[in-house]
Amino acid sequence: MSGRKSAGNAAKRIVKDALFAAIALVIFVVEAQIPPLVPIPGVKLGLANIVTVWVLMRVGAKDAFGVMLTRVVIGGIFSGRIVFSLAGGLFSFLAVLILKRFITDRQIFVAGVVGAIFHNAGQLAAAVVIYRSPSVLVYAPVLVLSAVATGLLTGLTAQFLAQRLRVPGE
Amino acid sequence: MIKTRTWIIIIAVIAAVAAAAAIAVRFFLPAGTTAEIVKDGKVLYRIDLDRVTEEYKIEIGDEDGDRNTVTVRPGMIAVTAADCPDKICVAAGWASGERPYPIVCMPHRLTVRITSGDAGADAEAR
Repeated sequence: MSGRKSAGNAAKRIVKDALFAAIALVIFVVEAQIPPLVPIPGVKLGLANIVTVWVLMRVGAKDAFGVMLTRVVIGGIFSGRIVFSLAGGLFSFLAVLILKRFITDRQIFVAGVVGAIFHNAGQLAAAVVIYRSPSVLVYAPVLVLSAVATGLLTGLTAQFLAQRLRVPGE
Repeated sequence: MIKTRTWIIIIAVIAAVAAAAAIAVRFFLPAGTTAEIVKDGKVLYRIDLDRVTEEYKIEIGDEDGDRNTVTVRPGMIAVTAADCPDKICVAAGWASGERPYPIVCMPHRLTVRITSGDAGADAEAR
């Protein structure tokens, strides 16, 4: 019986994580329709980050990793920039995973900021190392500034969601 | 646990340092009038913008079907058309000796940058 129960839990988990990944993807695709506000590569709202941060804080690290990876791979197929998304996604995931030990439920906004900064850092690293375009480093300070602003927005959203929204099915 | 106020101060300091660096970067940009069109880390064209007398266009394409049109005018250079999804390179506008910020088309791995190097004999060398 316990085998059936754990199989049921595994199925439940897959369904939930797939749902979160789908939500993140919809947000990602809708955001991609907004024309760039600033002509600097890498400056964007990163609203899908809300989902990853919320899943990491409320559901679990493995779930968040799966959601992030699914979002990045499928989103990369849509946008054609999978290498950048992957570098940014992995960098920010690792950074926020480490940060998680140092923040409380009222400090989730910090995870948004740190995630956004490291997302841009990962993308810059990919641009320099893989595409050999060191010129983009000129925009590094601006990218940090924009990451602080957008990270506060997505981080606070994730924090309010975490305070008000219960994990479905629990 | 670290206090919320401490986190806010840390974030504010990061933002302040980034803002200062964003302004400081301007002073470290190369002073020059030579433009380089770089694709995949290779310099395709090197153009002395001061020696350009009339406007012309360069088509940059690759085997993936990625296309960018670079327009060269006396003293300035810009990406004026592209088939990338975000068109950030086109929105970036003109680069010149006075405004030497690089123009980047990340999806196509293309950079147009101003350098202090002399275009010299290989001006427009492929």
